[in-house]
Amino acid sequence: MEPLNLAVIVKLEPDFSEGNVSYKPDGTLNRNETKNTLGPHSGIAAKAAFYAKVKYDAKISVCSMGPPLAELALEQAQQTCDADVLHLYSDRIFAGADTLATAETLRTGITDKMEGKMDIVFSGHRASDGETGQTGPQTAWKLGFTFLGNVISYDVNLEKRTVVAKCLLTLNGVPNVVEEIEAPLPVFISIDPSYKSNYTTVSQRIAFEKYQKEAYERAKNYKQYLKVYNIDELGVDKTLVGLAGSPTIVYQVERIPKGKATRQAEVLDGSNPEHIRKAVAKMKEALSAMVIK
Amino acid sequence: MSEDWRCSGCDSCKTECEAYSHVYVIMEHIDGKLLPVSLEMLGEARRLFDDYNARYSSNEKVVAVILGNDIKDFSKELIEYGADIVVCADHPELKDLRNTIHTKVVSQIALDKEIASKIEPNYAKQFKKPRYIFFAADSIGRHLSSTVLVELESGLASDINKLVIKDLNVTHQIKTDGKATDFKKTLEMYRPDFSGFLWTTILCLNNTTPAIKREYYPQGCSIIPGVFEPIKPDPKRSGEIIFYEPKIEENDLKVKVLSHKIIKSEVDFEIRKAVVSFGRGIKDAPDENIKLVTELAKQLDAEIGISLPISKKLLPASQSISSTYMIPARVIGTSGSKISPMLYVAVGISGAMQHIAGMQDSEFVVAINPDENSPIKNECDIFINGRMEDVIPLLVEELKKQQQVVQAG
Repeated sequence: MEPLNLAVIVKLEPDFSEGNVSYKPDGTLNRNETKNTLGPHSGIAAKAAFYAKVKYDAKISVCSMGPPLAELALEQAQQTCDADVLHLYSDRIFAGADTLATAETLRTGITDKMEGKMDIVFSGHRASDGETGQTGPQTAWKLGFTFLGNVISYDVNLEKRTVVAKCLLTLNGVPNVVEEIEAPLPVFISIDPSYKSNYTTVSQRIAFEKYQKEAYERAKNYKQYLKVYNIDELGVDKTLVGLAGSPTIVYQVERIPKGKATRQAEVLDGSNPEHIRKAVAKMKEALSAMVIK
Repeated sequence: MSEDWRCSGCDSCKTECEAYSHVYVIMEHIDGKLLPVSLEMLGEARRLFDDYNARYSSNEKVVAVILGNDIKDFSKELIEYGADIVVCADHPELKDLRNTIHTKVVSQIALDKEIASKIEPNYAKQFKKPRYIFFAADSIGRHLSSTVLVELESGLASDINKLVIKDLNVTHQIKTDGKATDFKKTLEMYRPDFSGFLWTTILCLNNTTPAIKREYYPQGCSIIPGVFEPIKPDPKRSGEIIFYEPKIEENDLKVKVLSHKIIKSEVDFEIRKAVVSFGRGIKDAPDENIKLVTELAKQLDAEIGISLPISKKLLPASQSISSTYMIPARVIGTSGSKISPMLYVAVGISGAMQHIAGMQDSEFVVAINPDENSPIKNECDIFINGRMEDVIPLLVEELKKQQQVVQAG
């Protein structure tokens, strides 16, 4: 049986965790003061790939498009999934790329620069700083892989070369739906935030420990596993990447105007017992539907 | 194709109009039900195009595209809700949602000249692609829009909550080679950022720089559910239904949906009279503060909601707290639930627009916040000035004291 060949796409993002994130007085992100880290959704994607390492002894390559600094994301991803190969696609020309141009860069790296053909490529659900969630499916379509989105768990049948994935559909106005989808490899899996790896057998748990230890050791020397490609080394069509290959541009950024006050708030002092009594009485009133507005 | 492809609706560059026309709106339905967002998107497309056709003296259409099995019955409703044309791909293999097949069929429809000639014969001769295409920003549309726009080789802006069509003059270093250039009938796509305080306007623009000259149509976006109002349905509205026979490749049928289960959510805002939500204000001690919030919610028999940033699980909380409370199902706002309880208590929530949109229909709103300048103050009936750590224990104690009053009542 052919061993599984996996790739994970990750992204360096502002670290929104407390203590690392900095906001300007107007509530917007202060990017200069905010540290960077492996995006949390990228982290979940790496965790999902690690599941296949533990269960199927898969080979894992992790790649990212970003500035030299994005090495950090690759290092952290390696620590999560015990990656065998790390790729960084880094060039000034890539900067400012929208999702279509980013997908072209990632597609080229995965197809031309990674060893062998991929069986599964993983990505996170979306980036925390951009909210798009488009890069994954767009890379999938360019690769020609079956796209499976919102995946909360998956398993591979190595003999049949198929994957069975559970996908969570969250839709407005109707209850959520979980679908089980079977697809022949290769597939592209975008991982849902609620993804969980289930290690059920003793041998899996032993493998988990072993690879986790290995991951830790490897990540200490991550540069040994890292290859950085600039645009020429990647050999990508320059008109299809960066700003030149991006249909969309950010035209302007503005503050969302504050809505007009819809209610006239009565301000109460939270340390005044009399005010607390009043607040509770008002809440009770509201709940007993005695309030006539 | 004339060299000057930009069109202002005048005769001299009419070819551009004919090459790219109409808005295609991709409908969503599940388990035999049309999703509300479908009608919301149609409503917005209708409003935009009534204005557009008047301004540009054109006759471009709102085209609803619906894929599925046994879905013909939806067509009339879609016309009542604003569609001029319904393109209906009704096929047994479209019963399940499979990204590959759906992407190909939507793309076939978008590129089909025969459909275009049925939509509006006047624009059909040069038809290449739709001018605009709308999807829903949900578990279905977010991915479908991404793959369709790759197939159609154009641009996409996701999670949009405002749309404007304008003639713009844009100078862009790469796209226009630094020259001021007119872009007529451009869709301004407004996306609220993760904090809810900033709006980013995204444009999908042709490259006019000779070396990289490229036309990017349709201008695509995915629209946040719950943002736009559907129009009032009009049974007398007339429209045309076009049936399309999709071309489905044998190989794509190897992807199979094995099961489809509707799951009951552990969170239900509808059955409770009160909702207590918390936001980033819990940050000093997430575990302890969430426990305080749950205690308050218990006293008020309230469901617990959260603001969007909380669902990103970026605050250090224990696994059990995080997996119970910091989940997308609890988000109140445009990216979550829109609710209207009798009592809404906002704890440590500053009041970003996207959150306000989800709770502003509540009957009575109480905010607990140490910052009197936060926007939530404009949206509440009572503003309790203080830190939740101090205020909630006092409220809980007082509520317990008054418990008997409730029981008597």
